[in-house]
Amino acid sequence: MQLLDRELDRLEGLWSDGLSDTYRDYLESVDHFDAEIQPRLALAAALIEVGLRLQGLGARAAPPTTLLMGDLCLARGSRLLADNAPLPVQVAFARAVELISSAAASEQPAPATRRLLQGSLGASR
Amino acid sequence: MTAARIEFATSHPTEFVDITDRIREAIRHSGLRSGRVYLQSLHTTLGIAVNENEPLLLSDFKGLLERIAPAGAGYEHDDFTRRVDIQLDEPVNGHAHCRQLLLSAFATLLVEDGRLVLGRWQSVFAVELDGPRHRQLALQVDGDFVRTPLEVPETLVELELARQLRVDPEAVASPMRRLVEAGGKRLRPKLVQLTAGIGPRNDPVRAVELAAAVEFLHNATLIHDDYVDESTHRRGRPTVAAAEGPERAIAVGDYYFAKATRLIAEIGNPGVTSAVAVALEAICASQIDDVALRGAYPGDRESYLRVVRGKTASLFAAACASGALLSDAASEVVEALRRYGDLLGIAFQMADDMVDFSPSSGKPMGLDVRQRVLSLPLIYAAEDRVVGPEVRRLLAGSLGDNEVGRVTDLVASSDALPRVRKEAQDLIDAAVRELETVELDGLRPTLISLARSAVDRNS
Repeated sequence: MQLLDRELDRLEGLWSDGLSDTYRDYLESVDHFDAEIQPRLALAAALIEVGLRLQGLGARAAPPTTLLMGDLCLARGSRLLADNAPLPVQVAFARAVELISSAAASEQPAPATRRLLQGSLGASR
Repeated sequence: MTAARIEFATSHPTEFVDITDRIREAIRHSGLRSGRVYLQSLHTTLGIAVNENEPLLLSDFKGLLERIAPAGAGYEHDDFTRRVDIQLDEPVNGHAHCRQLLLSAFATLLVEDGRLVLGRWQSVFAVELDGPRHRQLALQVDGDFVRTPLEVPETLVELELARQLRVDPEAVASPMRRLVEAGGKRLRPKLVQLTAGIGPRNDPVRAVELAAAVEFLHNATLIHDDYVDESTHRRGRPTVAAAEGPERAIAVGDYYFAKATRLIAEIGNPGVTSAVAVALEAICASQIDDVALRGAYPGDRESYLRVVRGKTASLFAAACASGALLSDAASEVVEALRRYGDLLGIAFQMADDMVDFSPSSGKPMGLDVRQRVLSLPLIYAAEDRVVGPEVRRLLAGSLGDNEVGRVTDLVASSDALPRVRKEAQDLIDAAVRELETVELDGLRPTLISLARSAVDRNS
């Protein structure tokens, strides 16, 4: 929990607003990693999913302050991946966000974020 | 080693052509720091000499050559009845060949600290002996070069940015291409490329990939910032949010944020990936602080520095550190460069703030004031004993053209701009001192020059 406290700086409000549930869901997808990094990777995935949702990506644009919160979620998730995830997982996450955002820019339906990110966590298998 | 040709035309039968400046130009262009210049005449009647460029002395030399090998003195080379394979326009020039034998067809010249080593009275001459003609000298420079001459890598970054944009879906590539093609100073990629030449593992290809990715990341943050700040124009063109709506702007920003992080990860250097990821997080956190501070506009110096360090300086620092990490530079070098980038980034932002109050910058004045963007000159003007009360009163109300014009006048009339300029220059001095603590393989002058130009541009 110390890890979570540190990584949730400025994002505390999001934890009780759905981030904790998302995090727990992703914990089920990281059991093939070392125990030490499992919570970090689950949190990274949860932050990216919540960040994209906050931004309103693929839907109506979020107001500026909410967008910035979403940006911080993405950046923190990305940093957690950079520090902890194997290279294939980092690349898979980035490709997932590229896919979702390019679909949004083209006003095309995007694949479900959760499924894509769970698939990215499996990229190192 | 690089090679070139020096070409020129002569206008007299015998002529001393001073080519010293042409050689200096070739050295400068090559980026040679220390080594040698090899010169070779490509003709049998063109010699090379190093001597004094004094007109009467040159006349003495001509007289000497004519006395030793006078024209028309019955040279066998000129007896066309005995020669084979002669051309229709074969010149009568036995004297010129003989004169060339007295000179040299080649020269080796030394270069130290990027300068041609010549004595006070020495010049380098190509000596025409059978003019007028069009002539060529071959030139090669060899030795230790400045690792990354500025002109070439800049072109490579532009090519890499264009190459990456070509493979992206048009819905995201098109807005980003407009932003990239609108220009920008490309300071961050330049810092990556320069620092990537410092360590023992100098890989220009990977340096260009990293430099382009850092530029994409910077642009991605700008696209979101422009939506947040409700900016209508950037680099003289409509912002993505203004031109295509906030939904597209968010998607384009996200795409290039993700793509840049992927490109950096794929370089395969965890230190580099981590350095950039930390910077990106700092940028996003500071952007939140920046917006929050607008409730207490214009804020104070301490808050300003905290925001600027995250929003601007963090990516400058990461650019410097990541380039050095890529080249396997020593850890003390990486850290010195990180501090250099941090100080440079803050100074750069201060200089950028001053543009808003400069009538000669070419940009509209007062834009930051109108958009309530954090600005150190404004903070200092608001604290000023004389103009401060009026500045604060104006900023507390709605800002129309008259109010913005009055605020910029008040800032210009106070000592805020000289204070900020002095502070920025002090930061650059501190950044330069960071460079003095470590070995930078000859790149120190370039980094110093880049730092000074980043601040001098507007002041």
